[in-house]
Amino acid sequence: MYTRGPVVVMELPERLNHVEAEAFCKELQPLLEDDRPCIVLDCSSVKVMDSAGVEMFLQCLHETMKRDGDLKLAGVPPSVAVILELMRVDRLFEIFETAEEAVRSFQVFAPAAVAQSQPWYVPSLTDLKVAS
Amino acid sequence: MGNGAIILVGASSESRDDEDPLGIGSVACIEVAGRSALERMVERFEAVGITAISILVTARNRAWLCPFRATHAGVTVQVVSDLNFGMRSEIANHNRHELEHSFVSWASAYVETDLLDLLCFHAESKQVLTHTYSDQGPLPLWVVDCAKASHAPFENCLEDAAQALSSRYFVREYSICLNGPQDLRKFASDILSRRCQTDPCGEQVRPGVWIDEGAEVHRRSRIVAPAYIGCQSTIKADALITRLSDIERNCLIESGTVIEDSSVLENTSVGICLDVCHSVASRNRLLNLERDVVVEISDSHVMKSSVAARAPLAIESTRGIIDLRTSPMPAAWQLENI
Repeated sequence: MYTRGPVVVMELPERLNHVEAEAFCKELQPLLEDDRPCIVLDCSSVKVMDSAGVEMFLQCLHETMKRDGDLKLAGVPPSVAVILELMRVDRLFEIFETAEEAVRSFQVFAPAAVAQSQPWYVPSLTDLKVAS
Repeated sequence: MGNGAIILVGASSESRDDEDPLGIGSVACIEVAGRSALERMVERFEAVGITAISILVTARNRAWLCPFRATHAGVTVQVVSDLNFGMRSEIANHNRHELEHSFVSWASAYVETDLLDLLCFHAESKQVLTHTYSDQGPLPLWVVDCAKASHAPFENCLEDAAQALSSRYFVREYSICLNGPQDLRKFASDILSRRCQTDPCGEQVRPGVWIDEGAEVHRRSRIVAPAYIGCQSTIKADALITRLSDIERNCLIESGTVIEDSSVLENTSVGICLDVCHSVASRNRLLNLERDVVVEISDSHVMKSSVAARAPLAIESTRGIIDLRTSPMPAAWQLENI
């Protein structure tokens, strides 16, 4: 974990299953109880994630929104991106290439966030093929 | 000596009139992120000191024109019987008022080129008119020498750049021709993702989220940047507005509804727990851009206009219209068969 001004960047572990997600939530809980928490989850290390990881994302988002804060994702690897896309959770988050970009986006609008979303005129399967 | 501008609102050919699946008229007159492309183009003309701006519209298409958001003192609207005749008269009028050059543009064109540079290029070319081009092809924006055009037949040159009276100017900056809802959606995406210079209206309440005057956003709704919420619109609890979506003025997005990569045009009410993706919604019509299908919805709980009565139920595609009041109800929706 490290901070950039008011923004807290949390690095997620390699495995994000039920046990790891619960432990991570406990670590994150004090930060979520701040007023207007600004949190970036750095997913660049994540290699394995199951539904517990997705639930953890949603839980964290719910908590930050309750306190007028925001939660953003950074460095989402293709394997995690596919899970988020299939569960249609990805559209709930602003997703950035790097944690630095995500931190900056709390201050200024970074169109880089748009680059990861799929415009209607590009077949979404293309990226999946590339990723595999 | 000054310069003028003439903007033509309407269909340049009969075929364009048919390309209006949402029944919204000229796409250029529809508000996108708070202002129409027409108004944005007027502002660009005004920014380079052009104060004599004439908007010509045929009587048939007069209803397409919506009030501008801001006051533009130099803009006059003329209803004409024939756009070509009206344009020629207006150029002669500009010539009488000692305006040296006139920009002539279809309302569908939104071009962010340096208009002063274009004027200089035209003046140096010493031709009757200058055509503009982008990497996508010709743009419906020209510069006309008012004095020369008043004495030479130039209307044919507008459509045919090979004519001897014209020169060509290549536009490297952002440009778009708004000929249909697909273009409207692309324009909205480009504005929100800042691919062009023009801004969304309203206040940027947090990076990438623009909220306009009088909009109400429930604190339990989620707006993922970039997004725009228009004047007097309401976003109810648990609604999600995401991925380059724009909600224009006087709209209502009910609880639990997701608007993703979509434009909800003015005066549209979208019901509870719906998932609107890759679409343009206008009143009780929904155009899905992936399937290229328009669905007209009569159930006011799903979608409705906030100003008009309910319309008949029909499904329309590029291959025709199926009126569901007279057609048998299918057991399952077979969109590919429409």
